[in-house]
Order: sequence, then C-alpha cells, then structure tokens
Amino acid sequence: MNDQWTDRLSEYVDGELANGERGALEAHLATCAACRGAVAELRQVVARARSLEDRAPQTDLWSGVAKRIGAGQVVDIRSRRFSFNVPQLIAASIALVLLSGGGMWVALRRPATPSGTRIVTPRPDDFTMNASADRQATRIWTGRTDAAIADLQEDLQRNEGRLDTATVRVVRENLALIDRAIGQARAALDADPGNAYLNLHLADTMRRKLELLRRINAIASAQS
Amino acid sequence: MPRQVLEVTLTADSVAADAALAASGDASAFERLYRAHVNRVHSLVRRMLDADEADDLTQDVFVRAWDKLSTFRGESAFGTWLHRLAVNVVLARRKTLGVERGRFHSGENPLEGVSGRRETPEISMDFEEALANLPDGARQVFVLHDVEGYRHEEIAQMLGVVPGTSKSQLHHARMALRRYLDR
Repeated sequence: MNDQWTDRLSEYVDGELANGERGALEAHLATCAACRGAVAELRQVVARARSLEDRAPQTDLWSGVAKRIGAGQVVDIRSRRFSFNVPQLIAASIALVLLSGGGMWVALRRPATPSGTRIVTPRPDDFTMNASADRQATRIWTGRTDAAIADLQEDLQRNEGRLDTATVRVVRENLALIDRAIGQARAALDADPGNAYLNLHLADTMRRKLELLRRINAIASAQS
Repeated sequence: MPRQVLEVTLTADSVAADAALAASGDASAFERLYRAHVNRVHSLVRRMLDADEADDLTQDVFVRAWDKLSTFRGESAFGTWLHRLAVNVVLARRKTLGVERGRFHSGENPLEGVSGRRETPEISMDFEEALANLPDGARQVFVLHDVEGYRHEEIAQMLGVVPGTSKSQLHHARMALRRYLDR
C-alpha cells in the first residue's frame, strides 16, 4: 500500500476531504483492499484514543500543591484580584447555601452564645408552616420524591456503563454533594419539624437531585 | 469535545462556585477543583511528556492555576480553561527542556519511533506505551487531536506550525499506532 491516497486516509477518516477528493478516494477504496484495511484500522485508532481512560497519579500530589499555594495559611483576600461576574458569584452563593443551609440553621438555632447573647433566627415572613396538614403534605411529597429518586438511581446504575469514567466520577461527586445537603436538612428538621424554611430547603435540594438524575439518565440514554 | 460538554452540563454550578470561591482565596474550594480535575491533567501531562515528569508538571499546572484564577472569567468551563493552561505549561516545559529540535519537519518519519509490529505475545507494548514511544511531534499532535479533541487549526497555533503539518503528523502517528491496537 503506497499510492497517491495513502497519506490522505486520515483526512478521509476525519471527514476533511473536499467532495471531489472524497469521491475519488472512495472509488479507489472500492478497488484497493490494502487502503480499505488501513481506513478500518485508522478508525479503530481514533476510537481507541477517545476511549483512553484518565488515570490518577500514583501518589497524592495535593500536599505538594497545598504547600506551594500556602493552603492552610490565612489568606488575605485583598491581595487576590478576581473578576467574577454576577452569575458566578450567585452560583457560589447557591453552593454555599446548598452545603450549609441545614447546618447554618442549626447553628443559628442555638439558644445562646457563650456570652449569653441570644441569636435571633432570620425566618422569612413567607415561610409560615404551622399547620400540621402542611407538614403532612411535605412528608407525602418527600416520600414520593424519595421513591422517584430511588427509581432514577436504579436507572443510573444500569446506564453508567454508557458513560465514560470521568463523567461517572463527576456525577457521583455531584450526587454526594447533594446527598450531604439533604442529610443536613433532614437532621435539622428532626430538631425542628415544623420549620418552613427547612422544609422548603429540603424540598429544593431533593428537586435538584431529581433533576440531576433525570438529566444524566437522559444523557446516558443518548449515548447508546 | 463531548467530555467537556458533559462537564459543563453536569457541574457548571458547583465548579463555577468553587472557582469563584478559590479565586477569593478558599483553598478548600481549590482542593475540590484539584480533586475533580487532577486525573485528567495528570493523564494529559503524562501522555505529552515523559511519565517521570508528570507529577512535577501536574503540580506546576495547579499552582499556576491558583495564581491565575483571577484571569478566569467564566466565559468557558473551568475544566476547559484549566486544560488549556495545562497544555501551555506542558509546551513551555518542552521548550525549557529544549526537546523540540525541529520535530515538526514534515519529512520526518514518526514510524521510526515505534519499532516493530506486535506479532508475538511477549512483545507486550500496549497502546499507551506505543503512544509514549512516538516521536515528540507526532505524539503531541495525536494527543491534542485524537485524545483531547483540539482541531488542527488550534494545534497549529499552539505548536507554531501550519495546519498541514499537524495533519501530516497526525496521520503518521495513527499509522504507527494501528499496530498496537488492543486485540
């Protein structure tokens, strides 16, 4: 196999040949078994390259990075210039709320500080859920959502094989993040079952998990 | 690149949040970013340079990222920004090492870097090992194009060559590597 087309086979595989050249090469392929074989192997190489899995370093490199960036030391944020836009900062706020909403509520509900100054919890006026009927409705809703989440997680277990490992890792990290927030909200609700803010926070966090599971299952289905 | 599209879809909120927090000096948020991306960065570095350089260069990438987070404006996914930064660190390292030495001459034969067809079981070089044995020019182009998904025009700009050279190097790399497809 050493003809005028040999060096153009990769461009053909990548769909980069002009129409006229592609037609001429395809006519050649019809008569040249060697080039047909090479095209097939080149396609396998491309597929193999795309399927290469990322591997973790053999040793944890974070300690070296942390040492060099001074992690653990007090950082003067005034010394760092940053130029994030409003949506990014909102995203940061959402993440903080998601992670710490339940824990923060519990912290704010402590009856008194060591100095004896009572902290007043800033409960929004809109969040009024005193009726037991509302709490019952919340329990029903969360029960149904738990069931839906369980179904979607079963689907995800079946679908994970269609996703690359990097994606699966990202999904698991996100789910762990959300599960942590759900756990915090439920723990806080155990202490204050009638708290409307916490009920809404739990509902919103469960909705996030539901949406993530639906989205990743849809993406996985599209991979097949 | 499909992987990047998925990354944007799945983690936009949490990654953007951690990037914003890290830029404000939150080392814990930066560690989460590190944990999420270290495998990909390390693999990129290992494939483009020698394995014994990979650990040090990976750390360099993240230290550089920490220093440069103020320039990340969120116009692309954090992973994309970090990945491009990693490529720049690798290419700068190659220049420092003086390993370019005209490897993008189109007349060079990359097949010389991977000797012998794998015909017997005892020749156990796998695909990744064969990739590591490609000449540097073909190796870089193959990793950037076929593994990482960059276009020839982007690669040409990064490497300071014309797109035709990138295409030629890619083809020679693929022709060499087809001998080492897992069977």
